[in-house]
Amino acid sequence: MSMWPHQDTIATQHMDVIASSTTERPADARSLSISAKRTASPVRFLAAPGQIVSLIVLVLPLLVALYMSFTNWTPTRGSLLNASFVGFDNYAELLIYDTRFLEAVVRTFLIGAVCLSLEFVLGLGLAVIFLREFRGKAVLFSAFLTPMMILPVVVGYTFWMLFQSNGPINQMITLFAGQSFAPEWFRSAPFAVATVIVTEVWHWTPLFFLILLSGLNAVPQNPVRAAVILGASPREVFWRVILPMLKPVIVVAFVIRSMEIIKLFDEVFMLTRGGPGSSTETISLYIYKLAFNDFQLAYGAAAAFLVLIGTLFLINSMLLPIREQLLKERR
Amino acid sequence: MPSRRLSPLLGLLLILALVVTLFPVFWIVMTALKPPTDWNAVPAVWIPAKPTLVNFRTLFDPEAIREYGVGGVSQSASAAVFGSLLASTVSTALSILIGLLAAIGLSRYSSGSTATPLIILSGRMFPPAAIAVPFVIIFSAAHIIDTYSGLIAIYVAATVPFSTWMLKSFVDDLPREIEEAAMVDGQSRLMAHLTVTMPLIRGGLFATTLFIFILNWSDFMFALVLSYGRIATIPVQLAKYVTATAGTLYGVQAALAVLAMIPLVLAGFAIQSHLARGMTFGAIKR
Repeated sequence: MSMWPHQDTIATQHMDVIASSTTERPADARSLSISAKRTASPVRFLAAPGQIVSLIVLVLPLLVALYMSFTNWTPTRGSLLNASFVGFDNYAELLIYDTRFLEAVVRTFLIGAVCLSLEFVLGLGLAVIFLREFRGKAVLFSAFLTPMMILPVVVGYTFWMLFQSNGPINQMITLFAGQSFAPEWFRSAPFAVATVIVTEVWHWTPLFFLILLSGLNAVPQNPVRAAVILGASPREVFWRVILPMLKPVIVVAFVIRSMEIIKLFDEVFMLTRGGPGSSTETISLYIYKLAFNDFQLAYGAAAAFLVLIGTLFLINSMLLPIREQLLKERR
Repeated sequence: MPSRRLSPLLGLLLILALVVTLFPVFWIVMTALKPPTDWNAVPAVWIPAKPTLVNFRTLFDPEAIREYGVGGVSQSASAAVFGSLLASTVSTALSILIGLLAAIGLSRYSSGSTATPLIILSGRMFPPAAIAVPFVIIFSAAHIIDTYSGLIAIYVAATVPFSTWMLKSFVDDLPREIEEAAMVDGQSRLMAHLTVTMPLIRGGLFATTLFIFILNWSDFMFALVLSYGRIATIPVQLAKYVTATAGTLYGVQAALAVLAMIPLVLAGFAIQSHLARGMTFGAIKR
């Protein structure tokens, strides 16, 4: 603002004029106006640094990992370049014999499904409440977003503390239900899984709330009014008019959260380290242990690629319902 | 949906949800302020009668807690605080710079191929535990393992997709006629972007910067696998405190956790209207 006050005012005036005259330009006009084609202008290379960074720091490691996944390399066998090629052995081992891996996949999937369902229902419920008018709405809105602003490690640590055998949660249980109902949360498998789910749901329900509320606020009002005039009850309006229009937003929320929960690591690391036994071991935690505790780096890389393929497949099928819309938006 | 007032039942539910949402934060802040006798007390001490800052002092002076007759922590957290600040700020600045160039390029000149988003997204989908493995190998070969340069390189790479797409969504919102007007006035393309585009998206630039900072500051796994003693960040230090002291120094751990979350909560509230855009790669605008 202070640096270019003059241009700023001009630009704002321009914007007002333009906003009133044209709202949308035809797609093919873009390349005519400020096209950089056939000119040696530096603008052609604006994306280059980003691409180079992605190439060096994302694509290169991916290729190294891919190569590694076809070898039997471990750090004790010297250089990766001298490792012997074993074809698809690692992949076959994982998919056929490695029950711990398969269990981790199923477990991550189940934990993810439970968490996302709960987050969706709670987030939607909260968002619907926020469509009403009440005092202190702005402050409460911020308050409800707090959990998602806290870093995962700290969230994991906080709940680890809350779930200690003489921690506040058990003390509250004891207060209301008596000593015999206070469990040792991290000593039994189902309770440990419950702590992971509670932590995740607490942490990320605000994201669903945020995304769904912004979606609800953007729902066009005309179909809603029409339905009301035609005699639909509020319930019918919500389930049959508003919710279908919310579909793209819901899909986006689920896709974003799925991508993250498949990688679930930090919170579980702080809460249970995968224990007791391997009862809360997620895919990421298993791969981490393979690579950095057992030094099975090549094997871990193969596991990671299987996960990547599965994730791509999953995300793609989740995007199917809004595929048309996405293609349209890309112009 | 017509806006109506809140029924008492919904009001009650809202209050209950608020308590559940805020209780963990309340508990950790209170624990950080408790003297050692209150840490693990039964019945629980909800609000310390004599709040103290000794836990925070212990983070920087490991012996401070001894005045309460409790053994100190093995390691000061100063290095971790310094490391987190250094790695997060430098990598955020770089990520924003690279992302801004790419955002203008992608939005205005369609520079970069259509495969770029796909590559970026698969990078995000790859389990970090596994992408960390090749990093460890490559960084060892390049002798930047256990250095801040290496950590910063990873942070930049991991957040450039976010900064690019978030900034691109802000640039997309600007009518391109504004920049064209400046170009007609005789400015070069780059100058037009510098003097017109940049000031107009400064709100977005600010929000994106804080958002990227949040992402970098939150990282745990990359710092965990790439630090072997010479570098440290707060999340890794917190994990170390929990194992090294076998869960006995609750107050000191909580103090570090509070220290870790203060900047993020502040940054998060500052950009709360842009959080949805950031988390969804710009897919949701408000």
